[in-house]
Amino acid sequence: MFKHLFKLIWNKKKQNFLLMSEMLFSFLVLFAVFTLLVYYYDNYKKPMGFEYQNVWVISYNNAYQTKSTDSLNTYYEILRQNIKAMPEVRELSFCSFNTPFTNNMSQGRISYHKKPLDHVNFYTADESFPATMNMQILEGRWFNKTDVATKNKPIVINSDIKEQLFGKGAAVGQLISNYDEKEKMRVIGVVQSIKMKGDYAATGYGLYQKTDTGSLRWMGKIMVQVVPGASAAFEGHLYKTLANYMKNSNVEIEHLTNKRTSINYFTLVPMIVLSIVGGFLAINVALGLFGVLWYNINQRRGEIGLRRAVGASGGAVSSQLIYESMILATLSLIVGSFFAVQFPLLNVFDLSAGIYISAMLLAITFIYALVFLCSLYPGRQAAAIYPAVALHEE
Amino acid sequence: MIRLQNIEKVYRTDTIETLALNSISLDVAKGEFLSIMGPSGCGKSTLLNIMGLLDTPSKGDIKISDQKTDHLSDKQLAQFRNQKLGFIFQSYHLINDLQVLDNVELPLLYRNTTAKERKMLATEALEKVGLSNRIKHFPTQLSGGQRQRVAIARAIVGRPEIILADEPTGNLDSAMGNEIMDILINLNRNEGTTIIMVTHDENMAHKTHRLVRLFDGSQVQ
Ligand SMILES: Nc1ncnc2c1ncn2[C@@H]1O[C@H](COP(=O)(O)OP(=O)(O)OP(=O)(O)O)[C@@H](O)[C@H]1O
Ligand SMILES: [Mg+2]
Repeated sequence: MFKHLFKLIWNKKKQNFLLMSEMLFSFLVLFAVFTLLVYYYDNYKKPMGFEYQNVWVISYNNAYQTKSTDSLNTYYEILRQNIKAMPEVRELSFCSFNTPFTNNMSQGRISYHKKPLDHVNFYTADESFPATMNMQILEGRWFNKTDVATKNKPIVINSDIKEQLFGKGAAVGQLISNYDEKEKMRVIGVVQSIKMKGDYAATGYGLYQKTDTGSLRWMGKIMVQVVPGASAAFEGHLYKTLANYMKNSNVEIEHLTNKRTSINYFTLVPMIVLSIVGGFLAINVALGLFGVLWYNINQRRGEIGLRRAVGASGGAVSSQLIYESMILATLSLIVGSFFAVQFPLLNVFDLSAGIYISAMLLAITFIYALVFLCSLYPGRQAAAIYPAVALHEE
Repeated sequence: MIRLQNIEKVYRTDTIETLALNSISLDVAKGEFLSIMGPSGCGKSTLLNIMGLLDTPSKGDIKISDQKTDHLSDKQLAQFRNQKLGFIFQSYHLINDLQVLDNVELPLLYRNTTAKERKMLATEALEKVGLSNRIKHFPTQLSGGQRQRVAIARAIVGRPEIILADEPTGNLDSAMGNEIMDILINLNRNEGTTIIMVTHDENMAHKTHRLVRLFDGSQVQ
C-alpha cells in the first residue's frame, strides 16, 4: 500500500508541490522559533550562580579628583569602612561598570597557545567580590593582598573559559595571552560561570582582573550585600551617607532583584512576540492544509467511490488519506531537515548542536501532529462518502 | 447465485420521494449472463448498485451465494465486494494519476497479496483484454475502448464470481462495443463468471442468456 500511495503522490507532484512548500516553510519557521525557545529554556534551567536577592548596586560618578594615588586609595578605603560598619551591610565590593543584569559590556579577545577566543567579558573587581556575590570558587583561589603587579598579571577565569581552553585539565598556573599576545596573564583561580544577563541568557566567557589604584579612577560601581529585609529607611540612610561623602557625585542605588526582572522582561518580550507570530503562522498553515485536504477529497470523490467499490472499507479510505498527508509531510520534513542541519554543521549562531537538534525534533513533531490533526476530519468525511453516490456523479 | 426478494428503493430528498425500485424479485443463476434494459431513469443503475452492495435497499432481501448481506458491517461488505464482485462502469472510473498496471492492481491492494503476485495477476488480466503492451500508459493516453478494457481487466483481476457492468459499451462506437462484448462473453463462457449487464443496446442484450426489462422501477419482463 505504501508503494502505491507513493506512486500516487509522485504522479501528482505538481498538485502536491504547493502543499509541500507550505509544510516546508512552516517547518523552517517553527525550527527558528523552537531553536530560540530551547536556547532560552536551556539557559533558564542553569543556576544563576550568584546571590542577587539581597544585593544592591551603587552607581556613582567619579567625583574625587586627585593626582595622588595614595590619597585616592585612602578616600575609597574610608568609604568602604564607613559602609561596612553599617549593621545592615554584610559585604561590599568595588567593581567595574559591567555589573549583573545591565547591558554594559566590556568584551575582547584572549588567546591560549595562539588559539584565539573571542567574546570574552572582562571584569574588574576587588578582593571581596566573590563574598559579596556568593560566587563559588571551583579551583585555585580569588585575589588577595599578595597579588601585586608582577610580570604575569594574576587573573581568575570562569568555568566557561576553563572548559573551552583546558577541558578537564587544570587551569591554575596556565598562562593566557591578551588580545595582542604581548602580555601573558597567569590563571590563579576558576569561578563558576554566572548568568550576568538574566535568567534566559547564556553565561558566556568571563575573565576577572583585580582592581588596582589605576582602576579606582574609572570604576563607578559598588556591590553591597545587605541583610535580608533591609529597610527603605536604611536605604535612605545609605544614600545620604554616600551623597554626603561624595559631594558633586550622582549616587544611585538599585536592587539586583529589580534589575533582574527588567532584563528578563526585555529578553522575554521578543520571545513572546516571535512565539505569537509562529503560533499565528501555524494556525494559518493548519487552515490552509485543512482547506487543501478538504478540496482534494471533493476532487477525488470518484476515486474514493471506486476504491470503496473494489474493496476499501470506510476506515481504509480515511487512513489512506491520512497516510498520504503524512507521506507528504515526511517528504517536506526531509527537505526541511536538510536545511536545518546546516545550522549546527556550519555553526551559524554559535549555539550547541543539542539545541538545534532538540528544536528540529520539536518542529518535526509539531508538523506531524498538525498534519495528522488536519487530515483527521477530512479523512472522516471521505470515509462517509456513499460509494453509489460518488460513482454516480461522474 | 444472486437472489433478490421484494426489493424496494426509495430516494428521499428534502422535497420529494422517488420510488426508484418497486418490489423487484430476481434470481440470477450461477454462470448466467443477464442483461437489464429499460428507459432512462427507470432504476437500472440503482438495481445494479444494490446487487453490488454499494447501496442498500429500503425494503427486501438480497442473498449472494446463499449468504444474507443485511447484517454485514462496512468492513465486511467491503471485503465481500473485494472477494466476490467485479464492477465495470460506463465512464470507466480509472484513476488518471496511476498507470494502467497500477489501476488494474487496485482491488488486489485490499487483499493479502505481495507486490509480485499483484504484478503477475494484473499482467495476466491485461493480457486477457489484449492490452499487455500498454501497461505503462496513463489512462488519459488511451482511447475509450482501451480504457474500458483496462476497467474490465481491473474487474477480473481478483477472479470474482460475479461481474456487474453498468452500460459498459455506452460510451463506445459499435465496433468497440462489440469488442468489449466479446470479452465479456468469453469471460462468461470460459471462466463461468456470472455477469449482469445494464445496456441500452438491443443487439448487445440479445447476445446474453436472459433479458430483464424495467419500467419505472418495476420489472416488466
Ligand atoms: N442519489 C439519488 N437521490 C435521489 N434520487 C435518485 C438518486 N439516484 C437515482 N435517483 C433517482 O432514481 C431513479 C432511478 O435512477 P437510476 O440511476 O437507477 O436510473 P437508470 O435506469 O440507471 O437511468 P440511466 O439509463 O439514465 O442510467 C431516477 O428517477 C433518479 O432520479
Ligand atoms: Mg444508469
